[in-house]
Amino acid sequence: MGNRLVYAALVLAGLVMLAPFGWTVLASLSPGGVVEWPPGGSLGAYGELLRAMPFWRILVNSVVVAALSTGLQVGTSALAAYGFARLEFPGKEAIFVVYLATLMIPMQVLVVPLFIEMRSLDLVDTYAGLLAPTIASGFGVYFLRQAVRQVPRELDEAAVIDGAGHLRVFASVVLPLVRPALATFAIFSFMASWNAFLWPLVILRSPEFMTLPLGLANLHGQFTTEWDVVMAGSVVSVLPILAVYVLAQRHVIAGVARTGLK
Amino acid sequence: MSRGLKATAAFALAVLLAAGCAKGSATRESAPDGKSTIRYFTFSAAPDHLADLDKIIKAFEAANPSVTVTVETAPYADYFTKLQTAIAGNTAPDTFELNYESFVAYAASGALADLSGEAAKDDLSVYAAKSLDTFKRDGRQLALPASYSAVLLFYNKDLFDKAGLPHPTADWTWDQEMAAAKKLTGKGVYGDFQPVQFFEFYKALAQAGGAFFSDDGKRATFNSPQGVAAAKHLLDKPGTVMPTVAQIGGTPDYDTNLFKQGKLAMWHNGIWQFAGLKDVPFQWDVVVEPAPVKASAVFTNAVAVSPGAKNPAAAYKWLRFLTASDVTARTRIDSSWELPPLADAKAYAGYFDQGPPANRRAILDAVASATSPPVIVRQQEMQDTVTKALEQAAAGKTPIQKALDDAAAKVDELIKQA
Repeated sequence: MGNRLVYAALVLAGLVMLAPFGWTVLASLSPGGVVEWPPGGSLGAYGELLRAMPFWRILVNSVVVAALSTGLQVGTSALAAYGFARLEFPGKEAIFVVYLATLMIPMQVLVVPLFIEMRSLDLVDTYAGLLAPTIASGFGVYFLRQAVRQVPRELDEAAVIDGAGHLRVFASVVLPLVRPALATFAIFSFMASWNAFLWPLVILRSPEFMTLPLGLANLHGQFTTEWDVVMAGSVVSVLPILAVYVLAQRHVIAGVARTGLK
Repeated sequence: MSRGLKATAAFALAVLLAAGCAKGSATRESAPDGKSTIRYFTFSAAPDHLADLDKIIKAFEAANPSVTVTVETAPYADYFTKLQTAIAGNTAPDTFELNYESFVAYAASGALADLSGEAAKDDLSVYAAKSLDTFKRDGRQLALPASYSAVLLFYNKDLFDKAGLPHPTADWTWDQEMAAAKKLTGKGVYGDFQPVQFFEFYKALAQAGGAFFSDDGKRATFNSPQGVAAAKHLLDKPGTVMPTVAQIGGTPDYDTNLFKQGKLAMWHNGIWQFAGLKDVPFQWDVVVEPAPVKASAVFTNAVAVSPGAKNPAAAYKWLRFLTASDVTARTRIDSSWELPPLADAKAYAGYFDQGPPANRRAILDAVASATSPPVIVRQQEMQDTVTKALEQAAAGKTPIQKALDDAAAKVDELIKQA
């Protein structure tokens, strides 16, 4: 009985969460973006989307940029996390506090200094300039350090006795054990890159570099907006991230299950 | 890792780096054969008029083979974020678009090059004098007018005919509009729609014969009796002849859809709606807005040269072509891409006969009584303050006079702080 109530509540909460997405889909199928009952079934907005912008190019840009940014962030963060959790070096705590402090600075404050930095590196309007600020992540270092600290030191020591160096311990012992944390952080960083708007807006100029949020924003005019097309774009832009989430989620569950067996 | 694999990985990385650092089409500067490149940044071209802009550029480049124009676009809502960052980072585009409301702040901050020198060598009589003057500061021409749009009263002829009412005319008063709106409201039809916000208010204030600022521009005077009358004119509509804010519930384009569905008799909106109303299944027309004192909202966009432009003469030439060439006038009119700011009505040849609406000439009435929006350096804050005061009064939380008094005091502060 109690279980049923819990399930009912969960289903209800799930539906509430789903409602905006359902609305987005319905609006994308209704001419003018006005949802009425019975819902419209027009795919015109999707065709318009392809006409209004180089949609496939933009989609590929977004996927490549998000994948590279995620790979770089997870890589650098995991290495730094291992260092902070396992190595002893002077000023370790102080440096870590500085890392944490970067979490408190909002992007809006950083935009102009970052832009000037990219200009002096001559990276304005390049993929490299777009990616550079996302290579390292204070949040990733903090998050993964916590995960690495959960790994029993005895496992490292056993590996060291067998003759493994730091890189070997990191790659063969620690990384496999923090996979759930890696997957979680990968989802976070992929989403952050996928949804990023302000930095790409500022650093990119050429239409062929545009990412999805920029492309979607470009559908808004000074006086009028075709909402059905915007909604169609939103639907399409949600799909890849949904796929990433479903894939990574399986890793999260697998990781939890394996550590639970020990 | 095998040696071959390592080499492949290194090669892939090198390719990636090279591709990653390559500049995009809008930034490449190595123009061949001593050509100069002009960067142009715009919000009004995307998404619907990129091809039209391209047509203008092609014509310009054909006439000026030594100059190449590259375009960057951003949506209006984010355009100024990008422009400000580019200016702060010393990479401002050579030429860029501005709307009148932001022109003042940019002019005051020195982000616009003085065009007077180039303009003196040029004959500017093609421009409507009034629109040219709008972008002068202290006798210096800081931008060229590029396009304008006017706000008119749209009306559904079929609904008026069904109710047996005469169509609105150019000499209608506020009372006539309200009386007709009341008769037309009912059976799922609303009589009138005029948003309760800053841009409607400043115009209604001018229509009531009031002034937004004192003559020296240092004090807000919109809490005058005329201001109260203007606010009352706006606030009388929601809940009587027009849906309330709660009914609209933030739905985008609520009014557009209401009018398109034939459920709205009168509608205060801009000529940018013409294209979207092409295929509606009823007769409609436009007329200059009813008012005690004729005054119409006209929105103007302009184009300016950045002080850091590498080739100011070529930049000016491009803007001159972009704003006042025959190609531009024809392209704008053919594609309903706002109107060119030209003095000679012949430039609009054909536009007035395009119909619907039949009475496109109402635009000329609107221009003749054009009232520019009040502008200060802290524009957005002022607009938000006034809109919020009107909403407070609409919700019945504050009496109109008090809401306007409070807003005027806040705007006085904003003027002082700038």
